[in-house]
Amino acid sequence: MPVVSSGSQNTIPRKDNLVIVIDDDEIMRLSCQQILVKAGYKVETFGNGHEGIRRIRQARPPLLVVDIKMPELDGFEVINLVRQIDLDLVIVVITGYATIETAVDAMKAGAYDFLPKPFTPSELRLIIDRGHERWRLTKETQRLRREKKEVEHKFVTLVTHQLKAPLVAVKQYLDVLLYSFRDQLPEKGLEWVIRSQVRLGEMLTIIQDWLALAKIDRGSFCDRSATTDIASLVTEIIGDQQQPPGSNDIMIKAELAPNLPGVGGDSVSIGMVVSNLVSNAVKYNRPGGTVTVEVTPDQEFVNMKVKDTGIGIPEDQLPRIFEEFYRVRTQETQDIPGTGLGLVICKRVITDLGGTIEIESRAGEGTTFIVRLPVAGRKAVPEARSLRETTPGENK
Amino acid sequence: MSEPKKVLIIDDDPDFVSALEALFNSSGCEVRSAVNGKDGLVLAKSYGPDLILLDVMMTERTEGFFTLQEIRRSPGLARTPVIVISSIYAEQPIFRVSPEAGWLPANLFLPKPVDPGRLLEEARRLMETAPAQVGPSASGRRER
Repeated sequence: MPVVSSGSQNTIPRKDNLVIVIDDDEIMRLSCQQILVKAGYKVETFGNGHEGIRRIRQARPPLLVVDIKMPELDGFEVINLVRQIDLDLVIVVITGYATIETAVDAMKAGAYDFLPKPFTPSELRLIIDRGHERWRLTKETQRLRREKKEVEHKFVTLVTHQLKAPLVAVKQYLDVLLYSFRDQLPEKGLEWVIRSQVRLGEMLTIIQDWLALAKIDRGSFCDRSATTDIASLVTEIIGDQQQPPGSNDIMIKAELAPNLPGVGGDSVSIGMVVSNLVSNAVKYNRPGGTVTVEVTPDQEFVNMKVKDTGIGIPEDQLPRIFEEFYRVRTQETQDIPGTGLGLVICKRVITDLGGTIEIESRAGEGTTFIVRLPVAGRKAVPEARSLRETTPGENK
Repeated sequence: MSEPKKVLIIDDDPDFVSALEALFNSSGCEVRSAVNGKDGLVLAKSYGPDLILLDVMMTERTEGFFTLQEIRRSPGLARTPVIVISSIYAEQPIFRVSPEAGWLPANLFLPKPVDPGRLLEEARRLMETAPAQVGPSASGRRER
């Protein structure tokens, strides 16, 4: 039964101080209980692994003390099973034959520390106190990380929506002004309206990219369960971007392999990748240049190459192009508009969908982006999700 | 001469409404507007528009979607073409959904701010291909 500590351990909160002890040896169970209750913990003991695991599933305790050598389930099996229930549970292993190998194996299996038999009460206390502190810090870190994400997200959403609404209204006036009342504008007025429209467009793009990034970070942007027909998506996007931007007369063409399989992911996210890459290839091209979007199947993947005959990227700048707000700086790129977020979005979306993006470029000759996306219905790549945790700028 | 086409705009941003109103007026359409879904629905029933332009995020976050479902449930409006114009679709591929698709029965989604030429072209196409209205507002207005 839980006993309130007398003195030294009063820092342990009343809740979250449950220690489960699993050992087939009754004397060991009793002495662990005695020592730990005295130290201020609540202790429940079990003679075999199954019962102990059942209790862990139910009570979600911070700490588990488990003997390695037991009939039925041994300590390793217990560790494996409880790891599937709770990754944060701190496990201390008790071992009768203290070899380095056993200890290493236990740690590999996910134990936090080990205690060779026989041990003194203070050795057990010390190790459990440390383990408890570790558990507390893990929980605290998780909570703070969650809160930080929440605050960031609220801020980004609020700011972007409130910034966006007035800009949208202003841009809409200018768009209609140019479309329906162009003839009534004086020459200077027309020029300025067009400039205002361009500048507003730039700002809207930044806000949209920023919002998209916030959503991607939150995991609420890409839908991995959806399927996209990449051929028609590419065709549609190329159609949309075909109008020559400014005076640059650039040809965009698609080379699509027949019978492409559906790509895993929603058309909005994948469309964002395609249109970002294509518009980059157009922007960083030269008059009369070409952009080729080549899509081919490759076993469980679909490969998409976006190739341009443009100005290329100097080698020393290549490692930085997936950084937030980074923009390639050369004499030729000075006047090219952009937010420095497009490639960041591409990379995060692709990673989220379990794919990869690579770049080949030579200054003066052009750039090729090679995107590899998993075919729909393929089992998700597990490590893709953890990459979302990377902080801005870290994702090179 | 045929009567002008009637367009109803349901959007809570008065500036957005007046920009689009000017656009449609200048292309010879008659325009009326409402600032929320509830008023929009009432107006739609009495006005009998040839086309409805609808925002999604109004005072209530997803008000537009509910309004859309109400529109589809009203006998006189069930086949009226609806274009959803919303900034939540901005910079993304344009969505086309059949009016029969129950979950989101809009004919077209366009990003906000909307390209005027594109909007007029789509509006014209939808108003031409829409089947004749059943209801009091239908008689004698169709060009063909």
